[in-house]
Amino acid sequence: MASNVPTPLFPTTRREFLQFSGRGIGLLAFSRFAPSFLVNSALAATPAPEKDRPILVLVQLAGGNDGLNTLVPYEDANYYRLRPTLGIAKDKVLPLNATVGLHPSCAALHRLTQDGKVAIVQNVGYPNPNRSHFRSSEIWETASGSNEFLATGWIGRFMDNACAGAPAGSHDPVGIHLSNGLPQSFLGASDHPTFGLQPGAGNRRENEENRRLLESLVNQPGPGENDNATYLKHTLMDALVTEKKVQAVLGSYQPSATYAGNPFAASLRNVAALIAAGLPTRVYFVSLTGFDTHSNQANQQANLLTTLSEGLAAFQKDLELHKLDGQVTTMTFSEFGRRPSENESRGTDHGTAAPLFVMGARVKGGLHGTAPDLNLAHNQDLIYTTDFRSVYATMLDRWMNCPSEPVLGGKFAPLGIV
Amino acid sequence: MKLAYSPTEAWQPLPAADWNADAAGHLLRRVGWSAQPAEVEQATREGLTATLARLFPAQPALWTEPPLIAHLKEEIPAMARGLAGAQAGPDKQRLLREARERTQLAVLDMSIKWLQYAAHPQNAAFAKWVLFLSDVYVVGIEKVKNAALVWGHFDLLARHAFDSAPALAKAVSRSPAMVAYLDLNQSKREAPNENFARELFELFLLGEGNYTEADIKESARAFTGYRQQFGVFRFAPRQHDAGIKTIFGHTGYFMGDDVIDLAFQQPAAGAFLPHEMAKFYLTDTPLPPEYLHEIGSWWSAQHYDLHALTQRFFGSRLFFSPEFRGDFIKSPVQFYLGLVQDLGLSVAPLPRAVLNPLRQMGQTLFNPPNVRGWVGGRNWINSATFQARRQLVETLFAPIHEEALNADEQLELVAARANGVSNFTVADDLLTPLAALDPTVATTRLLANYLALPAAPEFRDAVRQFLAPEDAEAPQKLRRLRRAAVTLLQSPEYQLC
Repeated sequence: MASNVPTPLFPTTRREFLQFSGRGIGLLAFSRFAPSFLVNSALAATPAPEKDRPILVLVQLAGGNDGLNTLVPYEDANYYRLRPTLGIAKDKVLPLNATVGLHPSCAALHRLTQDGKVAIVQNVGYPNPNRSHFRSSEIWETASGSNEFLATGWIGRFMDNACAGAPAGSHDPVGIHLSNGLPQSFLGASDHPTFGLQPGAGNRRENEENRRLLESLVNQPGPGENDNATYLKHTLMDALVTEKKVQAVLGSYQPSATYAGNPFAASLRNVAALIAAGLPTRVYFVSLTGFDTHSNQANQQANLLTTLSEGLAAFQKDLELHKLDGQVTTMTFSEFGRRPSENESRGTDHGTAAPLFVMGARVKGGLHGTAPDLNLAHNQDLIYTTDFRSVYATMLDRWMNCPSEPVLGGKFAPLGIV
Repeated sequence: MKLAYSPTEAWQPLPAADWNADAAGHLLRRVGWSAQPAEVEQATREGLTATLARLFPAQPALWTEPPLIAHLKEEIPAMARGLAGAQAGPDKQRLLREARERTQLAVLDMSIKWLQYAAHPQNAAFAKWVLFLSDVYVVGIEKVKNAALVWGHFDLLARHAFDSAPALAKAVSRSPAMVAYLDLNQSKREAPNENFARELFELFLLGEGNYTEADIKESARAFTGYRQQFGVFRFAPRQHDAGIKTIFGHTGYFMGDDVIDLAFQQPAAGAFLPHEMAKFYLTDTPLPPEYLHEIGSWWSAQHYDLHALTQRFFGSRLFFSPEFRGDFIKSPVQFYLGLVQDLGLSVAPLPRAVLNPLRQMGQTLFNPPNVRGWVGGRNWINSATFQARRQLVETLFAPIHEEALNADEQLELVAARANGVSNFTVADDLLTPLAALDPTVATTRLLANYLALPAAPEFRDAVRQFLAPEDAEAPQKLRRLRRAAVTLLQSPEYQLC
């Protein structure tokens, strides 16, 4: 693990952090709110990180990915009727069976599906679908009903259920997100250590400078004795220690696969690095944005699907070569699919259900669920056939070893994907 | 809590000799969102009384109705008729869904519009005062489900914000959002619903321990028959229990307004709102009862005039007491609007970019967690919310990632730019003048602008050394200044006001 790398200027445990700064220890020792790591260091031994626990990687396709042009029903005349210009010609489709196949940009995913490492769940959605980006993302992330508002996310509730009573000495994050801001999925009823890495934000040197200055400021005496200031300092110190640990891991990682030079691939590379370092993190959240293709969809979606497909394939290969693939399952989701009828701008408007991908050594590869019925009038929407909460229930019950009912607030029939 | 002044001294006006730039900064940060140097200078020059009169004008500028709310209001009756006429089934579901989507869009829009209104320095103190009143007289969109009603509630609070407190409470009891939120709509002569009566005493007027269960039961009868339809209050006499009631030891044919008048005759009434103000504006630790009692007696003698209360409270020696300087954790709304003001930015018309960070920091406008409102204080801060604050700062210093925007957001951005508003993130020209300064001067400027308290010499040195390493090329200077600004805004000290 990278914390073994001797870097005197960069403490990677809280204890080192305190030794690193003599003034810090004084500040902490005499304050009313001892940070958790200081209290916990008094415990005899911190249990070893639970290394073999199953890990879930969520990949958000933000903006609403067009499902019909991702998993193409190339034998359905209705498809070509609804998509006169955007329809993907049969001879371009990468066939999965006699009726459906993948977008030509998904060659790598196609190979993985044929190798049995990718399951594709067809036509996933929920009743009374909402077509607002904001609201539908909220429904997916909180796993709520369409007319139900939940303050916590499904991963947050997973943490509430599975991570309560986690080893007290550990401030290692149970969830790490590589997206713009804490995903709503991660909000729990209680506070769980989570961590965020902004993809492609600033350069490494600037982030490093930023952290060093913060570290130095947090070790300066405050303007006055004040409980709130102390509390804030301790919360920040905990975060800085995690940050430093994460940066050390990312900096020394040797990937076994070649990742493309885009922020999405870099995020997946970083996830692989953190998994390889044996962090006890159970859930990673990565985001790929730009799927809101109202106009000139063809090129934009093709590029995004290439990024997605190649990124996921590199990630999977990297995990395999590190012999970590048995421990990780990756799942995509998007707030909605798009309208079956293309619009007048060679794009598609907000729709409802769409397929999603589940990737890993332990998945049952191939197609799951049923394809949508395309016998639709102009501008009619797809009717979902698999509830997204059934997918979540499967991941919780059969992969994460966490009973899904308390997390999802109800029983949802699991699927045969893992 | 040990205070420097006796209860009587505490509420005396701050002596003129104690009014200075530090005090002005404290006032501006606590009653508004930030303390801009020019405003501090103006306030110091004008004096406390004139400043308070300016911050809390008798005729404040109100938040104008957002167009989406106006449309929603116009369409509510037709939508309701359509729903009433529709057969159960797909048509009805579609209508329900449309109604929900309309209100959700309207909530996002009005959240952005409120932030834009509140960000104006001349609106800040009044907007925050109304936000405070809404944190006492709580309603939430989640239960009310209609954005027009919630907007109407804020408008009602604003219109009665400087009225007498009993007049405000009576107006609130007729606020359609409140009628829906605390189930007055369900309260019938045969089956009075106690929800409103209980919260009226516990959370709006008196506080726990200052009423009996019998007072609640009897008062609930007095509020039967309060109804709202399509956002308009009406009284339904046939649902009202007009019988004789005994409340706080008085017996009579009391109606809702009488209950409010009776409550304001209770000894606890005067101290309740000052107690709430102290919690919202001043300190996490409750003020000792004798201090609250002191201002409570004074306020009840003023017939509970809210404007007089603001002048007295925010002008008191207690409000400026040294133990309350720079130790209060900013709410997410204050953190965000403070950044907008400190960085000279405009609120972006992008719900995702603006409202998601607020939610990540723990505060969703118009949707407090429950009828108690937001708890505040250290509850605002945990590992995730602190990180969300840091990330928001980074986001405000990076250009908007336009290709990642959804189509509707791109349209909003184009429209805003057509109106000449484009300063949604920190551009270099904002920092260039500071970067040109001597590092020591630049450090002083940054610290004075951003932090509530004077920084310790070691803290100052750390910033100065960061700004002035050996490589002093101009682009380097700008870059380091940018990083220093980002870091300072992420520091524990900046979370305090």
